[in-house]
Formats: sequence, structure tokens, C-alpha cells
Amino acid sequence: MSRKINTPFGVIRIERRAAYPRHIAVLTTLLAVLLAFLAVAIILVLIGIDFTAAFTLIVESFTKPELMLNSVKQAIPICLSALGLGIAFKMNFWNIGAEGQIYVGMIASTGVVLLHAYYGLFDEHVLLPLMFLTSFALGGLWCLLPAFLKAKMNVNEILTTLMLNYVAILLVDYLIHGPWRDPGGYGFPLSIKFPDYAKLLFLFGDTAYTGLLMAILGAAAAYLIMDHSKLGFEIKVVGQNLNVARYSGIDVSKVIMFGAFIAGGLAGIGGLSIVSGIIGRLRPRASPGYGYTAIIVAALAGLNPWLIVLASIFFGGLLTAGDVLQASMNIPKTVIQMMQAIIFLFILMGEVFKRYRIVFEGKSGGDMP
Amino acid sequence: MDELVGLRGIVKRFPGVVANDHVDFTLRRGEVHALLGENGAGKTTLMNILYGLYKPDEGGIYIKGKRVKLKSPRDAIELGIGMVHQNFRLIEGHTVLENIVLGARDLEFVIDSKRRGEEIRRIAENYGWKIDPEMKIWQLSAGEKQQVELLKILYRGADILILDEPTSVLTPQETRELFRALRRMASEGKGIIFITHKLNEVFEVSDRVTVMRKGRVVVTEKTTETTQEQLANYMVGRPVVFRPEIAEAVSGEEVARVIDLEALSDKGIPALRKVNLTIRSGEIVGIAGVSGNGQVELAEVMAGLRKATGGRVIIAGVDVTNKDPRKIIELGVAYIPPESIKWGIIPDMRIVDNLFLKAYRYHPYSNKLILNWRKIFEDSERLVRDFEVITPNIFNKARSLSGGNIQRLILARELSGIIGGGIPKLIVAAYPTKGLDVGATEFVHKTLLKYKKLGSGILFISEDLEEIMMLSDRIAVMLEGRITGILHRGETNIERLGLLMSKAVAEKR
Repeated sequence: MSRKINTPFGVIRIERRAAYPRHIAVLTTLLAVLLAFLAVAIILVLIGIDFTAAFTLIVESFTKPELMLNSVKQAIPICLSALGLGIAFKMNFWNIGAEGQIYVGMIASTGVVLLHAYYGLFDEHVLLPLMFLTSFALGGLWCLLPAFLKAKMNVNEILTTLMLNYVAILLVDYLIHGPWRDPGGYGFPLSIKFPDYAKLLFLFGDTAYTGLLMAILGAAAAYLIMDHSKLGFEIKVVGQNLNVARYSGIDVSKVIMFGAFIAGGLAGIGGLSIVSGIIGRLRPRASPGYGYTAIIVAALAGLNPWLIVLASIFFGGLLTAGDVLQASMNIPKTVIQMMQAIIFLFILMGEVFKRYRIVFEGKSGGDMP
Repeated sequence: MDELVGLRGIVKRFPGVVANDHVDFTLRRGEVHALLGENGAGKTTLMNILYGLYKPDEGGIYIKGKRVKLKSPRDAIELGIGMVHQNFRLIEGHTVLENIVLGARDLEFVIDSKRRGEEIRRIAENYGWKIDPEMKIWQLSAGEKQQVELLKILYRGADILILDEPTSVLTPQETRELFRALRRMASEGKGIIFITHKLNEVFEVSDRVTVMRKGRVVVTEKTTETTQEQLANYMVGRPVVFRPEIAEAVSGEEVARVIDLEALSDKGIPALRKVNLTIRSGEIVGIAGVSGNGQVELAEVMAGLRKATGGRVIIAGVDVTNKDPRKIIELGVAYIPPESIKWGIIPDMRIVDNLFLKAYRYHPYSNKLILNWRKIFEDSERLVRDFEVITPNIFNKARSLSGGNIQRLILARELSGIIGGGIPKLIVAAYPTKGLDVGATEFVHKTLLKYKKLGSGILFISEDLEEIMMLSDRIAVMLEGRITGILHRGETNIERLGLLMSKAVAEKR
């Protein structure tokens, strides 16, 4: 397939690539990130901010040890959600609802902690495993609902997953302003502080290390599911072509629901990593949009689990940089959100270069002698 | 003799291949010149060069004796060249007239449909076509659409006509009509290039024939001075078996039976109206008919991919009406879907994945959860070898395969016995040779006959009557969702089949 465009400088032809070689994919992604930095630099200059100082701070978020640990912490919920999205997107299930699944994951783990604290249920040792289980389950269910509607009634999952985000966020608001508010908290909308044994401290007593381990295990699980399990094979087939999937005898609805459950579950654990890792309690708006950042991360990493880990740490670093910029240079945090968005835009544009080859034919190219 | 087109020493290279390698080709006034070759031989590339779609890397194009440069199809059209592509380029919602005058240079602001309609009618009548210029394109049959495509060209006054595999969408009757019209055009001094890979058509319509293979012209000859066998040798580069040895049907046990089967088409109108049919093991039952008369729907209902609205499907003694495809697969039904690129493979997955699209879930290729890739890779290598799929390696995307190799891949997946072991009880093959070149077609025929011998029952749907008559033990003719007749080997001939098929075509008008 090829398309010709006539320009005053000659003919430009756009040809579909037979295959997209890996080095092209990597190059375009790096180029996208680079261009995004450049675009942000231009904007910073335009609004009169010393961009070299700002960029020094951004770089420090990746090099200074204490900032680095914070970057990794912030990367955990992003990473777990993005791993789930990687599975969902491979299935052609456009889950925009990782944010909501994160929130219900927080509800589940906080709920378990509160049951323990208020009613003395569960032993200290089973508390954390139980929190993992319930946040996975509730996150999964939150994603299963749209999947069920899609599988059985062909309801567009983009809308349903997105709308469920607001439901989940408001649910947290209600709980934290109402029944779950810390009785000794002077009326602030906060839950009680989690006890240490309900926190993610089991590796070197630090959330960052524990979280990194979780991210790596999560990536390994996603890799095993996608590349070595029957379900992963079915997910890929369903994502590529529903008709062929049916033809080959795959139970399409079942696969969509299973895949979505796993995807939502991973985001649910992302929610857990916020309340029992980053914050140590539940509060409203506990996630500053990790679930949306995860969409960008999944796309940036080309849905590859290992690259998702790297990309999340990169984005965790950017978030940390945002905090630092605000604290030390009084630059609004939103600059970082803008940068994220610009990176995403450039990645999307880069897709064109991955799929198509652009050939400049010049004015007389291909003519007869 | 008057030369309309002269292509001299045309070379066209694409990354990695030479599509045309110093090709010489001439078209004379008043002749039908068949351009014969397998898929990928370079016929279409050559014609695209003549039509201005590609620029040749070397060589010259001469039109009516003058050397020309074609920058785009517009230049070609101006020189009197017209092309009918394989897939029609018509606007479905517009009328015949609107489609035809669309490209006219002298179009007035408000179309003078009376005058132009009259002109169109006059041209059509000259070739024996009954076409109403006010009809909408979607109301027309495939044959009529093709006539509109030709009218579009003729209306512009073209005298060099290129037809790319024009008969692939036509019934035998429509084909004959087309050939008559082409002969008439030739007698009026036009030149016609007729691209095909069907040998019999070369002899029915052409004056000269040029055979291409692997980008080169093998031979150009007068049609009367050659034979089918000779041309086939030129095309394939080796002798071709024309009449494969056919084992007598041993009427074995019944493997499939459909009873009063009813189903709807995608548009929701009845596509099957009480179809009854049985297939025995070791027998090939051919389904003949113009496509769109319920053949695909029948195949899909049998494979569990389409809901039956009435009647029953019984396979190997089990009632599988409206059971899911997986259950039917597990009973030993192999299904070769129509338009295999669209329905039969996933182009962006690897060849291995496509080979194991069904078998991945069975022992020994997986346990409850995990795939056994090592075993899958091992057996893929074997399947690729056994079914002669030509590919540098099994990890390439299926998209990289040619049409013939894709069909070989599908045959390997469906027939090789990797699904549950053993040969399939029933093979439902829907248009398995459509669009394939001679070599691949021969392979499909050989394979089906081999499995017939091994005891599979085969439902064989095709539009190619010769092929159906050659392979089938019984032929059922389908027409508007009904089986209008079942003929046994020996009592069939083209005329009789054509009659059963075309009665409806006549009634439809």
C-alpha cells in the first residue's frame, strides 16, 4: 500500500512497512521523548523560567538517591496498572479505568485494615496477604463489569471504564468523609494511620524496595501470562481478530472477562501500593492520576512488561521532579503534567513512523533515461 | 499490422524483487491479447506501468508508435487507455449514469442525463448489454457492475482496454456474454489485454497469448498455435498434472447430515431455505452455484459460526445444531474458510501461532495453563515441510506469505491431525482455490483427494465448475438458499449445471 503526495519539492511517498523493526520502534520512542523535552523547554523559556535550572532538577530526580527512591515509590502504582493495561490493550479492550480500579483497590485494602483495627478481625500476619487478595479482587471486579457488558451486549468499554472512575473516586470521598473518618483525626477527611505490619516494608524496611520487587514480580507474571499461557495466546488472538478467534473455537466472552479481571486486579494492587506504601492511610484524591499516567506508560513501552517497569520509573521520576520544581523553583506541578501529555502526543505521532516508511522521491526520481 | 501498445525492455524493481525483468509486450489493433501467469508473475505490475500507476526503472512505453512518459493514470487515460480492476471502483449509492460520466472532461454544470443516458444506452446496446443508466449500482449483479466499468472506459472513447482477471466474479453465462462483447470490441479495432490465470479462457477469447513467469516473459504465441498443456508448462515451469487420479468413492458411513436447515444472511434475510444434504466418509460433495446463494452460510452453520434458525446439523451422529465452534472442532470437523486472508489467519501473528490457532489448547501442546512452545515449534517445522509452505522461517508474520502459502498453512492447521490426532471426519472447504495460482490450486486438489482416500467426508464449495466436476463425486447446485439438484459423477456437464445455477439469475432480473 502506498500513497503519493505531490509537493513543490517533489513527490513524497508513504509506504506501509512490511514489518516494523525493533530498532525503529526504540528510536522513534526515544525521539518522541527528546522532542517532548525540547517542546517543554521552549514553553518554559516563553513563560520566563530558567529552563537549565529546571532541567537540572529534573535530572536530579533520577540521580540523587533519596529522590530516586521517591521516584520508584511513585512508579509502583503506575507500573502495576500499566502491566494490567498492557494485557487489556493486547486484547483490544480499551480500559481507561485503571484510575477507578486503583481507587477500589485502595478501598479494599483500607477496608481490611479497618476491620482489623476496629473489630480485631484477622491476625497481623495474614493482614497484608488478605489486603493483596481483596484489592486484586475488587479491582478485578471493577474492570469485570465493563468487560461483561462488552462481551454480552457489545457496550463500548471506553465509556464504561471511564465513567466508573468517577464512581470509584466519589465512593472514596464518601467513605472518608463518613464512616471511615479517623475518630481521633480532628475531623480531617483521613482514615486512621495503617500499622506498620499493614505497610509495604517487607524488603529492607522500605516501600521503594518492596515496591520495586512487586513491580518486577508483576512484570514477570504479565510476561508469563502473555507469552507462555493459553490465556495469553487467546488474549492475543481475540485482540487481533474477533472473527478468527471465534472460528478457532475460542470462547471470546470468557477470554475478555478473564483478561479484564486480571488487568483490573493489577491496578487494584496498584491502589494498595498507594495506601499501604506511599501514604500509609486513605485520603481523598489519593491518586493524582496514576491510572491515566499508566495509559501513557503502557503505550510508551509498546505493551512490553519489562519496558513498562522502566517507563514507569521514568514517569515516577517526572512526578518527583514536579514536586521538586514546585518546592524549590515555584514552578507549578502542572508543567510536569503538560510534559507527560506532550510526550504522549509525540509517541502517538511516532506510531506513523513505525508503521510507514516515508520516501522522498525528488522531482525527477524514477524517471526514464 | 497496427501496433497500439509497445512495451520494450521494461524493468521494475521493488525492494528485494525484480517484478518486471526486461519485459517486451505488444498489443495490436483488433486483437484480444491474453496475459497469463501465476500470482506474482508480474502481470499486474506490468499493467500498472502501462496505466501510469508505476514508473518503470528502465525501458520505454510506446503508444500508437509514439514514445510516451506516463506520470499518472490521467496521462494514460488521455492516450486512450482504460483499465478494469479486479475489485470494482464504483460508487454504490450513485446511478450507472453518474458513475460513468464522473470522469468525463466536458461535464456540464447540470448533468444532461437525457442526452448522456442515450449515449450510454447506445454503447451498451452495441455490445448486447441491457443496462438502465438510471439504476443504482448496488442494485446490479456483479456481471452488470463489470459492464458499467467497461462502459466507463468506452464512454471516454478508450481503444486500449486492460481487464484484470475479469471473469473471477462471473457465472459461466455472464463470462460467455463478456467474451462476446470483447470479441466485438476487437472487431471494431480496439485492443484488449486480458489478464488471467485460467487456461481455458485463453483459448476461448484470445488471439495471442503472452506467458509471464517470475517477472519475465516466457513466450508470446498465437493462441491457435499452442495447447493448454504447453501453456501450463510455461506458466509453472514444469509439467502439470491436469487430471489427478481420482479414487472411486467408497460410500462409507455418513459423517454429516443437514436436515431442513435454515439460516439468515448477515443482512438478516433468509440465506438457507430448508437445505438437506448428506456427506459420507470417503466422498467429495461439491456445491456449485453463483456465490451469494447460501453456500458460505451453509458452511458457516456447519462450522458453528452462524446460527441456524431452523433445521438440524448432525455430525458424526451428534446433533450439533447451534453448538459452539469448539465442540464442532472437537468432533473432527476441519473448516477452510472463504477469503482465507480475512477469515482464516491472523496476518500480524507468526506462522507458528497461525498453525496452532486451534491445536494450542490440546495435549501435547499445552497442559491446563501453560503452552508447550518447544513441542509447538518442533511440530511447526514438520507441518511447514509436509504441507510445502515456503517460508524462510516459522517465526515470520503470516502476512509475509503469498496467497498459495497461506492456503497451505491453513490446510496444515486443519488437516494434519494436530487437533486431537487423526484425520478429520468432515472437511468443509469454502472456495479453497479462489485466487490461487495453478501450482497452489493443484496442491489443494491433491490434498483434498488424499484425505478423501484416507476417509474424510468433504464438502467442497467452489464457483469453478470445471474444478467441481473434476473432484466431486456428487454435485449439489445451490440457488437462492435451496439445493436445486444433486447430480452424480458422470451425469454432469457444464450446460446442465449452468442451467440449474442460472435459472435464478434469469428470474432475478
